[in-house]
Parts: sequence; structure tokens; C-alpha cells
Amino acid sequence: MRFARALSICVLSSGLLLAGSPDQNMNVNTRYTVESVELAGSAQVDISTGLRSDLKHLVGEKLNPALLDSLALRLRRELHVRAVTHRLVRGQTPQHVRVVFEVRGRPAKFELSAPKILYSSFGGFTGAAEATGVLGSQAFTAGVLSDGDDLLERYTGVLARYELRHLAGGRAGVRLDFESYHDQWDPATVTAASAPGAPAIYRARQNIEPLATFALTHAAAAALDLTLGASFETLQPQLPAAPAESANAMVATLRFHRRLETSGANQQEWDAGYSLRAATGFLGSDFAYTRHQGDAQYVYLWGRNQVLDNLTVGFIAGRAPLFERFMLGNSTLLRGWNRFELDPLGGSRMICNSVEYRYGLFDVFYDTGAIWDQGQTAVFRHALGVGIRQNGLYAALAFPVKEGHIEPVFMVGMNY
Amino acid sequence: MLAGIAIPVSRAFAVAPLTVTWDGDDLHVAAPQIHFLAGKPLDRLHDGLSVVFLTQLTLTTDNFATALRRNAGRFVFSYDLWEEKFSVTKLGEGQRTVSHLTAAAAEAWCLDNIAISSTGLPQDRPFWLRFELRAAEPRDEPAVLGDSGLNLTRLIEIFSRRPRAQQPQWTVEAGPLRLADLKRLVGRAPRPS
Repeated sequence: MRFARALSICVLSSGLLLAGSPDQNMNVNTRYTVESVELAGSAQVDISTGLRSDLKHLVGEKLNPALLDSLALRLRRELHVRAVTHRLVRGQTPQHVRVVFEVRGRPAKFELSAPKILYSSFGGFTGAAEATGVLGSQAFTAGVLSDGDDLLERYTGVLARYELRHLAGGRAGVRLDFESYHDQWDPATVTAASAPGAPAIYRARQNIEPLATFALTHAAAAALDLTLGASFETLQPQLPAAPAESANAMVATLRFHRRLETSGANQQEWDAGYSLRAATGFLGSDFAYTRHQGDAQYVYLWGRNQVLDNLTVGFIAGRAPLFERFMLGNSTLLRGWNRFELDPLGGSRMICNSVEYRYGLFDVFYDTGAIWDQGQTAVFRHALGVGIRQNGLYAALAFPVKEGHIEPVFMVGMNY
Repeated sequence: MLAGIAIPVSRAFAVAPLTVTWDGDDLHVAAPQIHFLAGKPLDRLHDGLSVVFLTQLTLTTDNFATALRRNAGRFVFSYDLWEEKFSVTKLGEGQRTVSHLTAAAAEAWCLDNIAISSTGLPQDRPFWLRFELRAAEPRDEPAVLGDSGLNLTRLIEIFSRRPRAQQPQWTVEAGPLRLADLKRLVGRAPRPS
């Protein structure tokens, strides 16, 4: 631990020295040791755990003015403020100094973003645009989207979100989501849904979802977050005269992220999550079900090489609406397959794994997965593909591995 | 103690008298009434930061119509938070550092280390000197502190820029002067040829 800390400081410092900073040797205070690091001038501190960790790592080290300049710049970027300056004051212990970063300018911003843009030769166009205004620890988001990739349905509509970030010293946050969508269905799904006992399609749905997130660990290299909340979803049936149905569920998500760096500049990352949605009559839900989904991702990087493995599993007990059912054959799960050919109504059980090798811009992947319902046998399908990615832009060609006619799926987009 | 001839400033926008002395090779200046360790730069120093001061000495023989010679200097000041004394580093060839100085001593050391060659200047020819001193903007510091040093073009560019409201700058001029009127400075060895 101590070695890793020293190494990170050493690497960061040497990088800055190589960049050229005579100040390192000319400031007479560089012979003193940093006693503490403080952030002043801001009511709240909205910084990443990585930056927080780097600030903490200054303590106990000899003063490095170039490093302070670099950290002040990172603070300014992360806080979106006009300026971040730093100053030194005498420490309480002789030969020690305290570093005080001062934040100037209200941390306010307004930004437009496109969380997802995708064109698929199978699913058509998917796009989302959001506008977010941040005022201190509060964020307001409004957006529009049309998504034909995530679910069995194409949903088009608006969303709004309010977030209160960094409560409890940055260890908690709350958010309230509102979504209103109009739904369109593939003819295969409409046909399958008309069968007796099949889940029904709907023409619109609205969702109100209050959530609270808690950071259970605060380490730079490992993070564990727990999200708790509820989802109040209203489904408007195809027939306008029919009464609306509710799918109200308790929501819980646990996410874990860990990054490991070895001395050879290789890096490993683990990311895993489990989410539970439990709909009960207690919340006034017309549906009663529990939906479990787990995923794990492992990434190993060395040089320009990356190997990734993604595993996703899902299980539903009870009667769930169509938007909750699992499906394969989109831009991330079992790429290249026709989701309606696999199961036009989705499944209550799902497993999918993707292995990917990336070198620089290029990647190749192998996906395999199965989707089925209770009482059915899981049939595994396979897909192969190649892609190219640069600065968030990704284009891929995926081939389903099957007998007979093969129609590859071409996908291009950002952030998907 | 300086034993050279002191020539008072004769030009406009001088904020303090400029004293010029000669050691046989180089012209030296002193401006004891300029206290540049003040205001914002001093605040930065008291905050434990370093401050770079840039100097430029210009020698002309035509009342500043054209520059015969320029000499640039870069000095990095810092303030020891525990000892409450100043440290100064002169950058460039023969880089050297002094520490444990009072503010006045640090200022004086800086000016003591500024000189311009008088080579080629006839003893009876009138000449003028302009001394400029400016605190570098913090954002300019990486550029002026670079290993490649501060070239003349960059220096002229910096001094030709209008200083910002809170960026102190001093300009002092002297002349017309003649080497013949200046006594040799005692205590400074002539520069080896």
C-alpha cells in the first residue's frame, strides 16, 4: 500500500518534472513536508475519488509546486469553476506546510450531451439528447430519446431528472427520474403477444423513479455503491378504453469497481453489478414479480492491447411486463442476431458472455448467449464480429453463427 | 558600497532614480528606491509560491531610437514560510541562488546581478540606458522558466505587452551618459575577455 502510494506520487511527479518545472527546485519551501491538504472557498466539493485520492497522497510527501499546479488544474476542470488557486501556510509541526486550494467562481454549468447515438442495419436509428444544468450540488436534466435497441419495443419520448449530489460528504446522492414514452412494436411481437397468457403490449408508459445512492467504500482503486429506491411505472394499454396497469417495484442495485495496476504498467479492472426489481401489491402494482440481473466485466490492458470479458445473467420470477423481460440481439448482447427471431416476447432467463480483444483502434469479439423461459431448454447462440473505435465512435460488423442464410448486422454510433 | 559615479535619471516615466556604474567591461545599475517585493507578488510569496521577475536592460546611443544591445534576466523569488526570509535564483548561464535574505537584500541582490556589456562603446560617445522590471504572470511562468531560456524575441514580446492592472512593472531610464564620465567601479574585477 505504502509502495503503491509512493509509486503513484513518483510517477506523477516525474511526469511533471519531465514536462519541465524549474519551480520544483527554486521554491525554498520544497524542502518542507506537506502536513495537510484543504479545499476552501466552495460550499461543497464535487470531485472524483481519483482526484481526492491524489490530493490525499500529497500528505507526508515533500512539497512539489508543479504537482500542486497540476492538481489545481484538475480541480478547476472537475468543478467547472473559474479558477482554483493554491497557497501554503505553516503547518502545526515545524518544517511542515499546509496546502490550501481555493475555489473561485460558482460551480455552475450547462451542457448538452448525446448519451447514445446508434444506427443499426437491424434496429434502425437510436438517439438520445440531454441538456443538463448544474448548480452547486444540484443537477437538472431534460432530454428526448428514441430507442430501438435496448428493449423489445421502440420507445420514444421525454425524460427529466433532478439530482442532488454529494450528500454526506460526498458519500451519498439522491435523484428523481421522470420518463414518458410512446411505444412501437415489431409485428412479430404483436403476433406473439396476442396468444393467450402472453404478456400484453402497451402503447405508452410513464415512470417516476426516486433513487438514493450510497458510496459504501471510498477508495480510489475500488468503489462499492449501493442504490435503493422505487419505480412507479404506469402502462397504457393498446385499447384506450382499457384501464392502465401499474408495475411498481422496489429497486436495489449494488455495483463494484476495482482497478489494479501492476508495476509493468499493465492494468486490470473489475466491474460487477447486481440489480433487483421487486414489484408487489404492497406498492399498488398490478404485476407481481422479482427481476434479478447480474453482470461482471473484466478488462486487462497492456500497451495498446485490451482483453475484455463481459458476462450478463438475468432471471425473472412471476409475471413481468414486457419492458422488464430480457432479450438478446442488440448492440451489446449477442450482437448480430435478430432479437425477434430468438424470441419475440423476450425471456425470463438470460445468459450472455462476450469476449473482446482490442488493439489500438481495432477489435474483434465473440458473443455467446441464450434466452429462454421457465420450462424451456436454453439454446446457446454464437456471434462473431469486428469493429473499429475512436474517441467514443464505434463501428462494428457482427455475424450470427448459424446455418443457412447469414445476414450481418452493421452498427455505428457513439456511447453505446 | 558602490564607488562608481551616480547619474540621476533624466527621462520621463521614471519612477525612481537609476544609478549607473561601470566596471570597465559592464555597466551596472542600481535603483534603491524601487521596491518590487510588494503588492500582489509579495502576497504570492507570502502564500509560499514562487514569483518570477523579468528584467531587461537596453543600451542605446540614439536616445532609444534603436537598441544597441539588450540584456535579459530572469529571477525566481520565493519566501521561506518558516524562516521568513527570501530566496532568489538567477536563471541562465551561471545559475546561482542566494537565500536567507531580507526583502531589501533580495531586491538589491537581484539588481547587483544585472549588467550589460559596454564592449564597442567609445568612451566619449553619449549613451542611454533603460531598465525594465516586470513580475511574470503566473500563466507565463512555464514559458519563461523553460530550459531553453528566454530568447530576445520572447522577451521583447513580453515587455511590449501592456501589463495587466495588477501586474507591476517598473521602467527607469538614464542618459545621456558617457563612459568617460563614469569612474571605474572598485571591487568588481573586469570581465575576462
